[in-house]
Amino acid sequence: MNKTMSHLILAVLVLMFVSSSAQTAKAPGEGPTALEVLQAADRVRNPAQPFKTTLALAEYVSGKERDRTSLIVYARQDPSSLQFNNLVRYAEPRRDAGKMVLFKGVNLWFYDPASEASVRISPQQRLLGQASEGDVLAVNLSRDYAARIIGEETLQDADRENRDCWHLDMAATTPDAVYSRIEYWVERSTYRPIKGKFYSDSGRLLKIAYYHKYQQQLGSFRPMETILIDGVNDKLATIIDNSDYLFQDIPEAWFQRDYLPRLRPE
Amino acid sequence: MNCRGIICLLASTLLCTACKLPGGVTDRPPQTAEPEPPLLGTRGAEQTGAGQNENSDLANIPSSDQQASASKSKMPEGANQRIYIAEAIVISPQRDGQIVPSSTQVQSTASWQNLLFMDIRKQWKIHDRLTFAFSDRFNLRSEADLPVFNHEDVINNFREGFLSWEPLDRTYFDLGRINVKSGAALGFNPTDFFKTRAVQDPLTADPSALREDRFGALMLEMQYIGEGRALTVALAPALLRPGPIYTDTSLPSFNPSINCTNANDRLLIKGSMNLGPDFSPELLFYREGSESKIGANLTRGLGQRVVAYAEWAGGERSSLIDEALRFGRQTGTLPLTAPSVIPDDPSVRFQNDVAIGASLTASTKMTFNLEYHFHQAGFSGQDWSNWFNAGRGQTGSSPIAQELWYIREYAQDQQEPLAMHSTFLRADWPHAFVRNLELTGFINTDLHDGSSLLQVSANYNFSNSWSASAQVGANLGSKRSDFGSLPQTSNVLFEVTRYF
Repeated sequence: MNKTMSHLILAVLVLMFVSSSAQTAKAPGEGPTALEVLQAADRVRNPAQPFKTTLALAEYVSGKERDRTSLIVYARQDPSSLQFNNLVRYAEPRRDAGKMVLFKGVNLWFYDPASEASVRISPQQRLLGQASEGDVLAVNLSRDYAARIIGEETLQDADRENRDCWHLDMAATTPDAVYSRIEYWVERSTYRPIKGKFYSDSGRLLKIAYYHKYQQQLGSFRPMETILIDGVNDKLATIIDNSDYLFQDIPEAWFQRDYLPRLRPE
Repeated sequence: MNCRGIICLLASTLLCTACKLPGGVTDRPPQTAEPEPPLLGTRGAEQTGAGQNENSDLANIPSSDQQASASKSKMPEGANQRIYIAEAIVISPQRDGQIVPSSTQVQSTASWQNLLFMDIRKQWKIHDRLTFAFSDRFNLRSEADLPVFNHEDVINNFREGFLSWEPLDRTYFDLGRINVKSGAALGFNPTDFFKTRAVQDPLTADPSALREDRFGALMLEMQYIGEGRALTVALAPALLRPGPIYTDTSLPSFNPSINCTNANDRLLIKGSMNLGPDFSPELLFYREGSESKIGANLTRGLGQRVVAYAEWAGGERSSLIDEALRFGRQTGTLPLTAPSVIPDDPSVRFQNDVAIGASLTASTKMTFNLEYHFHQAGFSGQDWSNWFNAGRGQTGSSPIAQELWYIREYAQDQQEPLAMHSTFLRADWPHAFVRNLELTGFINTDLHDGSSLLQVSANYNFSNSWSASAQVGANLGSKRSDFGSLPQTSNVLFEVTRYF
């Protein structure tokens, strides 16, 4: 009886150990979790240190350029939420030069140098045409989405090079998330985002994104160009060129309404 | 069915479920010839060829030839400036049979006006911590009631010119002509204390446009911006005796109207602080001459589509009628000994101004703002009754009509509503119907008599340099009402703009 009892206790202990190991440790040969993949891909897109970059957005219809916007983005990771705060300044078109939008969580402010007034806007008021703020701002997707790996696939990037990728399916977990659902392809060997598909609340495909032209910038290889294809009208495309990446001292105090008129000329 | 068959059936059922998007829309056809991807496992994902189907999206990328032919982007020099030339014509049909006839001595009754103007706003970085800002509009104009080749044809509006020095990080000293603006609302800003006497002969009644085209005051401004808090102190000294209210036929050509912006000593102290998540009120103290006011601004986001806001200011003052008549006598527009043609209450007491409202953005990107305005010093029902009764049967040149219309011109010059209770509804629709077309409209309604000012405008950007706009406005209401008694029944504006 005692021997039986001790075997039983031993078996329970072994089971407990095995089950707890299964929850907390990876078995040899297993890959990273979906969260780890997404966090690594976030780090590829945006450095943790405050930085500035210039974006040139060119919109195409059936391959012909029809519009162009230039923006300067100042980004800084919020130490508490680990999400990025962004300050966006319009440089082009000329009629919009100097306008600014502050994105700090649900706090969005629009500043027009003509009226010299800051107006609070709702997250729904996107001011960037075909591209939304989610496409041009520094964003940590891992903070706003729950991801799962649904496959490993080989697909071509925007330069038609084959890339072995994890295929992630991501569902929004916060109301701040710009899209309801995202499909995301991340290269397995480099953790570089290669492609994304973005969906609305109703499940409609809104846009497709390709990330390419990776170059060494701010201590890592980062995509210098993002291509957005409209999910409804595939004749519409927007190409976003990044340039002038620069680490910059950007204090937290910049991300408030009163600072908007104070952002110094470039 | 054997065990393997059951597993295959279960797997294919689950696969179909996974192909559906949240809204039940099928993303792409099931791939029967390819291995099935794992469904819920986050580990041990299998190698698949699903990318084959994904590659079809590549066909929609503009070719490198097409991209190369497009102008390559460079940061434009004009990132810190906005310069444009515009040609505008305004037609204003006049109303017949006004109960109180218009007085040409104190108000504009021109049936048309043409303006060609150059507008410049520019900032120069002189040193790492020193900048200079300049804002000006130079107008060539003609209108129905002006003789040709008159000095009134050339008007320069010097709006701003100031040096800004930042001796310590985010601590600023500004000196010069500065526009200090405050307020959270769109239609009426009780806390925008420097708005008074700052707009002359506006092209439009749109409050948003009025904020763009106003004079700053000569002042010293100090500001500190800390993390989650800001403090501003502005001191504008009295430099000249107050000048009269200008009409469209008496505008100064190159005089910068310092006698409008710096006629009294003025002090503004305002501060804001983050007191909690999405709770950052702004408090204001303002003193002009011997009168003080306090105020507050608050905004709050309500979900993804709604922003609520409230603005309040209060202080001791007399009624609008009393202030207007005293100012008219002080500046010589009204005879010093002219009696009040309607009863006015000279008593000074604490009076409130409130604007409370919310914006709602629809899925079409159309944004609506609805506001309620309370202006305690404004016209009561009895004041309106007195105003119409006193003016009935007068001629436009009579001193009584002049005094009655002067009260209304004074309210406009001060940028304060005449109505005690009013509502303001504004709609803005960027990319309406077609790309680059923006439709904007607002209706301001006096709740006492239901009369309204309605204005609708359409702006189309032909390119990054050219735009055109059309605007239609109407003063709606009976002849014995706030807006229905105005001399213009409506106005139509056409404008073409070239940006540089």
